[in-house]
Amino acid sequence: MASLEPITPTGTGSTGISYQKLLDTDTRPVPEVLRLESARELPPAFVPIERYISREFHALEVEKVWEKVWQMACREEDIPEVGDYLLYEIADHSLIVVRSSEHEIRALHNACLHRGRALRDADGRAAELRCPFHGWTWGLDGTLKHVPCRWDFPHVERGSYRLPQARVATWGGFVFVNLDADADSLEAYLGELPQHFERWPLEQRYKEAHVAKRLACNWKVAQEAFMEAYHVVSTHPQMLAGIGDSNSQYDAWDHFSRAITPNMTPSPHVGWDASEQDMLDAMMTPSLDEEPVVRVPDGMTARQIFAQMTRMQLQALVPGALDLSDAELADSFYYTVFPNFHPWGAYNRIVYRFRPWKNDPDHSIMEVMFLSPFRGKRPPAAKVHWLADDEDWTQAPELGFLARVFNQDTRNLPHVQRGLHAAVHERITIGQYQETKVRHFHALLEQHVRA
Amino acid sequence: MKLRHPLTGAIYALQEDGLVRVEHEGATGLFRPDGSWHSGELCDADIHMIGWVGGPQLDSRGPLGSSRASGASRAVARPAPEFPRRAPRDVDPEGRNDMDLGLNGRKAVVTGASRGIGLAIAETLADQGADVAICARGEGRLEEAKKNLEARGVAVFAKSVDVGDGDALKAFVVEAAGALGGLDILVSNASGGAGMGEGAWQANFEIDVMSAARSVEAGLPFLSESDAGSIVFISSTAALEFLGVPQPYNAMKAAMIAHASDLSQALASQGIRVNVISPGPIYFEGGNWQMIQQTMPKIYEGALAQCAIGRMGTPEEVARAVAFIASPAASLITGANLVVDGGFTKRVAW
Repeated sequence: MASLEPITPTGTGSTGISYQKLLDTDTRPVPEVLRLESARELPPAFVPIERYISREFHALEVEKVWEKVWQMACREEDIPEVGDYLLYEIADHSLIVVRSSEHEIRALHNACLHRGRALRDADGRAAELRCPFHGWTWGLDGTLKHVPCRWDFPHVERGSYRLPQARVATWGGFVFVNLDADADSLEAYLGELPQHFERWPLEQRYKEAHVAKRLACNWKVAQEAFMEAYHVVSTHPQMLAGIGDSNSQYDAWDHFSRAITPNMTPSPHVGWDASEQDMLDAMMTPSLDEEPVVRVPDGMTARQIFAQMTRMQLQALVPGALDLSDAELADSFYYTVFPNFHPWGAYNRIVYRFRPWKNDPDHSIMEVMFLSPFRGKRPPAAKVHWLADDEDWTQAPELGFLARVFNQDTRNLPHVQRGLHAAVHERITIGQYQETKVRHFHALLEQHVRA
Repeated sequence: MKLRHPLTGAIYALQEDGLVRVEHEGATGLFRPDGSWHSGELCDADIHMIGWVGGPQLDSRGPLGSSRASGASRAVARPAPEFPRRAPRDVDPEGRNDMDLGLNGRKAVVTGASRGIGLAIAETLADQGADVAICARGEGRLEEAKKNLEARGVAVFAKSVDVGDGDALKAFVVEAAGALGGLDILVSNASGGAGMGEGAWQANFEIDVMSAARSVEAGLPFLSESDAGSIVFISSTAALEFLGVPQPYNAMKAAMIAHASDLSQALASQGIRVNVISPGPIYFEGGNWQMIQQTMPKIYEGALAQCAIGRMGTPEEVARAVAFIASPAASLITGANLVVDGGFTKRVAW
C-alpha cells in the first residue's frame, strides 16, 4: 500500500489563536507529541455520494477494506480468562475472538466445518467449541477434537479440519484482527501511533463504559460527524463561548489522523467578549437562572482552573497527574486509525468505533467506550450496553454529560442519509483544512478500493 | 434550564409543560423538544438548542452539582489559634503542668506523609522527639518533607512508594523498621481521596483500606516487640454522617473504623493499641478545601457553616490528636474513634 506523501503543513486560516500559540500559555511543560504538526498530500476535497448509499460500493468496501485491514475487535480485558470469547462481526464475517491460553488470543471463523452452523450465537466462556447442531467439537486453538460417529466421516482428515483463523495482534490493551493473511503487521500498520500514546498508556486503563447504538445512516456518515470541530457552530451552539472550534489543529500521518480542539477558550464565531467564567460555564452548561457551580478564581483562567481540578481528581489514579499540562487535561485529542477506530488522547477517556450494520449501507453501529485509569486490581470491563432504536443516549447514564452531546450529534445523521439519497448532485464537498481527517480517510479509502 | 444562544442572543427556556420557549428580538415562540413549532409568532429556531434545553437532562454537573449547599448561613472563617510550642526546659519545674507524651525516641511510620495531614503528623511526632519514616508517591515533595523533618534533629527514613502496591508498601514498612531500629507507632494516613465510579472504589479499597491492613500486617512483628506499640488509622467524618453524595471514599473510611476496632481487640494482648482519628474538613494550602473554596464557594461556605467552631481544622490540629492517641500517654485508650472536626458532625456521639 503506497503511503500518502508528506507535505509542509499549511495550517488553519482561522483568525483565532492557533493551537501551538495556545500551548505557549500552559502552566506546565507541554509534551512533544502536542507540538507535532504533520500533513499529507490529499486528493481534491470532493467525495462521490455513491460511497455512502450504494450496495455495490458497500460490497467493494467489504472486499477491499474490511477483508484487508487491521480492525479493533475488543479489549483484552473483555476476555480475561482462558475460554472467554466474544463475537466480532463485520458485514457477513463472524469471528470468535477467544483467549485460547493465558497469553494467547485467537480469532476463529464462526462456522462449523460440517454443515456450517455458527458455532457460537453470543459472547460467553467455553472450554471447547461444540457445534449445537451435530456436536462437532473444536479446541480453543481451533483443532478438531471430536466428531460424533467418527466412522461416518472417513473422508475427514483431522489435520485439515482445523477452524480457519484470522490474524490477531494487540496494542494499547486492544485486540485487533485482520482477515488478510498477507497483510503487513499491526505494528507496521499503526506506524508512529504508539509513540503518540506513550504518555497516556491505554493498556493501563479499564473499560468503564461501553454503549452501542444502531444509527440510520452509513457508517462513514456516522464517524465523519466525530472527526472535525467544524460542526460545533451549528450542532452544539451552547458550547461556543468555551470551545476553540475553528482554532483546532488537524494532522495526518500514514494510516491515522488527529484533531486537537482546544476547550475553555472562546470560539472565533462568538462576536462578544467571553469572560473566563463564560468559558467555564460553556463547558458545564449551567442555566441562566442558576448560579454556576464552579467559579473561576481571580487571576486564573478557565483552562487553568479546569486543569487543576482535573489534576486533583486524577492524582490518586494517575502517577504524575500533577505534572500533566493544562492542555492534556482541558483539550480534546481525537485520533482516527483507518478505517474506523477512534481512540482519544490524554484523559478524555473516549474511544469510538463505527461499523456497517450487517450489509446495509443505510445503517451503522456506533459504539462509545470510556477507558478510565485505575489503581490496584483492574476493575471488570463493562459489558456492551445496547440502546434500542427508540432510546437516546441519555438512556445510558454511564456516559454522563456527553450523552446529551451525542444526542445533538446523532440527531443530524438520519437526515444526512436521507439527504444523500435525495441529492441530485453527485458529490459532497469537504473543507480544505478543518475536514482534513475526512479527506485523509477518503484518500485511504480510495487507495484501498482501487488496489 | 435556560440558555442564551451565543451567536443570535435568543433565549431558550424550558417551561414546566415541557415546551421550549424561545424569545428573539421581541418575538416569542413555543417549540416541542423535537424542534417542531408549537405556537407563537416566532416559528423558526435552532433545533439543536431546543434539543439541548428541552431534551432529556442528566445531571450534567456530576456529583458536585447535587451536593450544593442551599441556604446555608454565611459563616465567617476564623483563623486557627497558634499552638504554643514550649521547649522541654520551659515546663513547670515541679512537673505539675507537664504531661509528657513519652514520644521521645519512639519510632514511627506515617504513610502518605509528603503533604497535608500526613506531613503534619510526621512533623508533630518529630517535634516530640520521635524518629519517623515516611512514604509518598511523588519524589520531589517527599525529599522536601524529609529535609524539614531532619531539621528537627530526629532520624528520618523516606521512600517513594505507591501504597496501592501491596508488596512495595510491606517492603517499605519492614525497611523503615530496619532503618529506624524498631517500630512503636504506625499511622496509616494515605488515601485515594474522593472520586466516583468503579475506579474510585478500587482506589479507595486499595489505598485507604488495604494499605492500612497491609501496613499493620508488615509492621506487627516489630510493633509486638515494642513496650508501647500503637496503631492509628486516619479515617474521616465522611464515614460517620452523610456528606452530600454517596462515594466510595465514605464507605471505605467506614471499613477502616471497623477493622481498627477488630484489631484493637485482637492485638490488645500483645500490648498494641489501635485507634482511629476521624478528621472533619481540614483546610491547608494546596488542599482540596482550598480548591473548593476557590471554585465552588457555595459548597465551601456550606461546609464552613456546619463547623460549629466557625472554621475548618488545620493539619496540625489533627496531628496533635494523632500524636496524643499514638503516644504512651494514651495507654488506656484502644478501639476508640476520636472525631476531630470542630463540631462539623451533628450526631450525638454516645
